[in-house]
Amino acid sequence: MIPHDILTLYSAKMLEYGIAVLFLLLFIPFWKYVQGPSRVPAFATSRAATPAAAAAEWFLMPLDRAFHRGHAWLKDSADGIVTVGMDDFAAKLVGPLSRVSLPAVGTAVGQGETGWRLEAIDGRTVDMLSPVDGTVVELNAALSSAPETAETDPYEQGWLMRVRPSRLRANRMSLLSGQAARQWMDETLAGLRGHFAPGLGALAQDGGVPLSGMARAIDAEHWDQLAATFLLTGKEDLHA
Amino acid sequence: MNSPTAQALPERGWINEKIFLGMPFWEYLRSLATPGNFVAGLIMAIGVPLIAYRFIFGLGAATNLSQTNPWGIWIGFDMLSGVALAAGGYSLATAVYIFGLKEYHPVVRPAVLTGFLGYLFAVLGLAADLGRPWNLPVPIFLSWGGPSVMFEIAWCVVLYLTVLGMEFLPPVFEWLGWPKARMWAVRMTIGLTVFGVMLSTLHQSSLGGLFLMAPTRLHPLWYSPFIPAYFFISSIAAGLSMVIVESALSHRAFQSRIDHHVNIDKLALGLARGASIVLFAYFFIKLQGVADGGRWSLLNTGYGYWFLLEMLGFILLPSMLFAYGARNSRITLVRWTAAWTVLGIIVNRLNVSVIAMNWNVPDRYIPSWMEVMVSITLVTIGISTFRWIVNRMPVLRELPEYHES
Repeated sequence: MIPHDILTLYSAKMLEYGIAVLFLLLFIPFWKYVQGPSRVPAFATSRAATPAAAAAEWFLMPLDRAFHRGHAWLKDSADGIVTVGMDDFAAKLVGPLSRVSLPAVGTAVGQGETGWRLEAIDGRTVDMLSPVDGTVVELNAALSSAPETAETDPYEQGWLMRVRPSRLRANRMSLLSGQAARQWMDETLAGLRGHFAPGLGALAQDGGVPLSGMARAIDAEHWDQLAATFLLTGKEDLHA
Repeated sequence: MNSPTAQALPERGWINEKIFLGMPFWEYLRSLATPGNFVAGLIMAIGVPLIAYRFIFGLGAATNLSQTNPWGIWIGFDMLSGVALAAGGYSLATAVYIFGLKEYHPVVRPAVLTGFLGYLFAVLGLAADLGRPWNLPVPIFLSWGGPSVMFEIAWCVVLYLTVLGMEFLPPVFEWLGWPKARMWAVRMTIGLTVFGVMLSTLHQSSLGGLFLMAPTRLHPLWYSPFIPAYFFISSIAAGLSMVIVESALSHRAFQSRIDHHVNIDKLALGLARGASIVLFAYFFIKLQGVADGGRWSLLNTGYGYWFLLEMLGFILLPSMLFAYGARNSRITLVRWTAAWTVLGIIVNRLNVSVIAMNWNVPDRYIPSWMEVMVSITLVTIGISTFRWIVNRMPVLRELPEYHES
């Protein structure tokens, strides 16, 4: 048997350790570079290819938006400020709005924390989650006089606020876009179908357009709780 | 097991539908008269008789192989490169079915088909190279050589070829219109994928392990105790690059067969990201081999320059280009880099098995024109088979009735 002397350091071994350490040191920046802000140019291509919006069966889902599971969207701009709004599903779920309560300019918002409140025409309110961490820098002033815009045109005129993000790259990990977003919307719809009362009969399954204020149509009594469940601001969701 | 379609249509109609793409025989025959088919036909017209010539008159007559150089391009190109480039099958199947990266689902079927055909034609190349290929069942069934690397490779390749064939059954059953059989085939997917990745890990590395037996014959810059790891790791980069190249070509060649909802560019960028990381790690592990053997002085020789070209030009450069291309969404750059990487893997396998092998003996091997022609013929038959299958079976797109939500 060949005796081994583990304390003997050959120069070749030193070099090998050196290469291993060098590799690890270089690998971290390389990994970061490769993973990089790849989604931004991906959005750019999607925008070029699909100008307005792609219908994910029932709801509009523009390809240049990233979606949070609380049904809020986020859109980049060149100045580093992101625009935030609610998606078509949230708009149609809650239905005709009488007021949108937004946080004041300068307020800090956090991803997954309550960001704003929707007030329906019957006075009941539903909270929604912010899709991003950061500071509010601008609000959509038009909503104070015409809150219904947030429901009728949720992706363009009905945007809610502009936020200076503090950790956008980390936030992106929790956002969905493209195929993943469509798949998530399909799953949401499957969940919604489970809530349709048998007596409601043919709704959108038969190819109709989902009606405004779906939650109320499903359960007039507790529609706000139902909506909050889908927007992840229901009591059990917040405590989870 | 017969589908309603198969029962309703007479025999002739079924064949027309499934084999002749719904055309009457003569019309189908006329549709084959394309420039691409003409070139493929010409290559096969020369190559197939050459394969017959090799079997009738033997290896000595058809090849430049000798006792000193028993392995030529049929091993280096058809077998080693073919198997490495077929690694997209296990890489993608593992990514999608085991790691759950479902967005890559649209490229799994073409990757598995490429893998299956890659192995099939690697085995055919091997059959041409073996002196007595009809003895192949002997080491597999009759005379087990447990301690031999070759024994492990033989078994792994046989099993993995079977696994790839079974992994490709769902589109075959969809084509035949056998939904029940297809359902069973789909249920086997996870098991087959796990088995497939085990087999691939084993024999991709064992193919490198073969060269552990030739420390004095293989040039010291390429010889390393880590060579099984080199072969395995580089096979992942080869497989991913091959999927990028193959999907780009398929989407150009089979416009009517593709799923236009799939953003193939985005998938290619994702694969490029993976390939970039793998090549980066591969470069440093190769560098460890040079340091481990203390081979630095050999770099300043003719073989050293060739080695450096492989290291810098075919490993580090594509790694950087993939990274840049993936980060900045340069899809054309990514595709050319993938093609360059595929070439680099072929260069590496030829280096190990042919170019840097027997570097120190006067009797150098240069393949005969017949060997080159047979290799070209096998690739041509492989591509033609791929086309034949893609034109008939749901490979590049899902049939709506079998859509997996």
